[in-house]
Amino acid sequence: MKTSLQNSVRNGVVFGVVIVFLALIGFLVIAASLLQKMVGNPVGLTSMPSAASLLVFLGFLHLWNGWRVSHNKEDIDTNVPLKTRILRGLTAGVTTGLFLLVYALVVGTINERGVDMRVYLSMLSSQSIDFFLFNQSPLVGGLIQFGFSAAAAVVGAVLAKFADSGKDKVKSIQKAAVAWSDKSWLGKVKTNPYVSYVLIGVVLLLLVLVPRQWGAYWNYIMGTVGIYVLLGLGLNIIVGLSGQLVLGYVAFFAIGAYSFALVTAPDPHNLQFNFWIALVIAVLVSALSGVLIGLPILRLRGDYLAIVTLGFGEIIRILLKSDWLKDFTLGPRGLRNIAGPTLFGREFIGDIDFMYLIILAVLLALFIARRVQDSTVGRAWLAISQDETVAQATGVDTYKYKLLALAIGAAFAGLGGALFASRNQFTGPEDHVLMVSINVLCLVIVGGMGSIPGVVLGAFALKGLPEILRELESYRLLVFGALLVVMMILRPEGLWPAKRPNLEVKQPPPEPETDTRPAAIGGGS
Amino acid sequence: MSKVMLETKQVTKIFGGLTAVNRVDLVIPEGAIASIIGPNGAGKTTLFNCISGFYNPEFGAVLFDGKSIKGVLTDKIAGLGISRTYQNIRLFQNMTAVENIMVGFQPRLTQDWWAAILRTPGYNKEEKFVINEASKLLKYVGLEGLGDHLAVNLPYGAQRRLEIARALANKPKLLLLDEPTAGMNPQETDEMKEFIRHVRDDLGITIILIEHDMRVVMDISDQISVLDYGEKIAEGTPKEIQSNPRVIEAYLGPGAAALSEKYRREKTG
Repeated sequence: MKTSLQNSVRNGVVFGVVIVFLALIGFLVIAASLLQKMVGNPVGLTSMPSAASLLVFLGFLHLWNGWRVSHNKEDIDTNVPLKTRILRGLTAGVTTGLFLLVYALVVGTINERGVDMRVYLSMLSSQSIDFFLFNQSPLVGGLIQFGFSAAAAVVGAVLAKFADSGKDKVKSIQKAAVAWSDKSWLGKVKTNPYVSYVLIGVVLLLLVLVPRQWGAYWNYIMGTVGIYVLLGLGLNIIVGLSGQLVLGYVAFFAIGAYSFALVTAPDPHNLQFNFWIALVIAVLVSALSGVLIGLPILRLRGDYLAIVTLGFGEIIRILLKSDWLKDFTLGPRGLRNIAGPTLFGREFIGDIDFMYLIILAVLLALFIARRVQDSTVGRAWLAISQDETVAQATGVDTYKYKLLALAIGAAFAGLGGALFASRNQFTGPEDHVLMVSINVLCLVIVGGMGSIPGVVLGAFALKGLPEILRELESYRLLVFGALLVVMMILRPEGLWPAKRPNLEVKQPPPEPETDTRPAAIGGGS
Repeated sequence: MSKVMLETKQVTKIFGGLTAVNRVDLVIPEGAIASIIGPNGAGKTTLFNCISGFYNPEFGAVLFDGKSIKGVLTDKIAGLGISRTYQNIRLFQNMTAVENIMVGFQPRLTQDWWAAILRTPGYNKEEKFVINEASKLLKYVGLEGLGDHLAVNLPYGAQRRLEIARALANKPKLLLLDEPTAGMNPQETDEMKEFIRHVRDDLGITIILIEHDMRVVMDISDQISVLDYGEKIAEGTPKEIQSNPRVIEAYLGPGAAALSEKYRREKTG
């Protein structure tokens, strides 16, 4: 009993601190206006959202507060009586409420004295403080917040009771549903091999139709996501599969972009190669650079490899920028007028056309990545990533496979870089900063190391989500960071963790040689 | 048993000031089960590491099938036909059991990476062959049905057997087993002992064994070499080793030989 109340107080403190923090940075106002926008009643630029929307947002947090404390892990008996739950919810709600009350009194009083808080906290305007106090005096407003917190937490705790008692019912219904779906036509559909082909067809059809519909802005965003999928697939091979922690991955991206740009741009060399030839050159040059960079670092492992490759990434960028290579790469100015794709004399550099090109490139990369991963090569890489010494002693040519991983990874990055340069028709040293490497590494980790669907999901989460969250303006990165933290708590192995295939042949074909073998050890058990 | 499978000549490995292996001569005939025993820190595993290419000995020669393998990379040595297991099990933990064995097939593969991307008929055939053979090996070591479990999730004894299966995958001529019965109960130890004998008899593989369990060593060895402080102090059949005073001294300390002689006389007399 005592510990559970302590737990409630602790929970209440956390929620109190978080809500006060959100209030201090002005996020409550933003959240309330977002809610109002969602129900189709957008807020004007100067006015504040309605009190009801604030209550809804805070109410959600308070309900969650009560819900969390209503049942906790230390409960031996999961069937906690309603009275205990209410007490717990009340404790948590009162604790949170005390925080809000104190906050209301302090900030409200300061505001009443006419001090402009915005000097210290840019988002804490007088208006937003009044909004928090429901346009009442600090004491009254604080008490409203206090009472609401306590009441909502109790409601949350009671709701959790119903949810818990309903859980078994839900489970049995689920079970029945699964059993039914396995037996009926749904089960047949599930096991039918053609279903997956149909699904792939539907996805392809969507990929053809959707870019025509959603306009230039989304095509640009999704094009960026696509390029990051390419980069992610490449780095996934290097880091996720072969286990080489390469932090200078952007070097290959830069080499791809620059080699494409140098052979197509009119300035400084005026080679003006055809788009497709230039694309092949970019991919080959990147792959070669992967091998060349790989050769000196073959013997490095772990942290040392990370540091050295980090250096490589920076060296490439600084070289591109340097005065020394100015005649060759135009230094910090970057390269302009890079060629767009042409086919049979027709130029297609529109957003939609380019989106298709990126989709094709991603599909090609997905195809190659999958085939490599599910093969002897992929297994050799995994073996190297798990124990390089033993992998070599088991007969894996570690040097060859590590170089191969770097070459394929670099080729993907080069393809991404070339498309990137071609789409923007410009590339400069500042396109190839360390952040690109870190972003790509993040998306591989967020998606799940060594998992191809994970890379795609990770690219959407890291490159697409911030654009969707643009509504939140300056809080975009805060929410994004919070989402990442939540995700890593809930799914520590990534959004879509890698799985190993089932390969064992349960009844291998008999062979005369094996027939003479006696029963092996432990066979009887 | 006339042909010599492995020969070490004056092999010496020095770590800083410590001579871990000191001028060890070994001659292992084909088809033998040879044991290397000795107290902890005697240099047994270091000698294994010199043979399998983990270490490059400072001095001396290692001849496998008549050819020197000193300084050859470990993957090439595996390709020549030497496989090994490890004292502390070293599997590829997050791969399935079958996949672990399939990695062992690496030296025998003929198809290159581009064939894997293009899925050429040759590659598909080889992949099918490898999967079938790996499943067979799995059955051979008694792990049938466990092939799709991650190696890390297998019980201890199964991991030991899986390690041996992986070592057998490249059709070795010589198998180095580093304490294969460590941490096993008497029944498991007996099973392992029989299994090692079967591997030699069925597959004709020469086996070198590092082992602390004397019942195993004395039962299955054709030849025993004793190391102490990096030097070979005795060699011979199990019977010869049991009564060798230097061996008893190395295990039990100076004076122990005399004591054991006394006990024997009291027992018989």
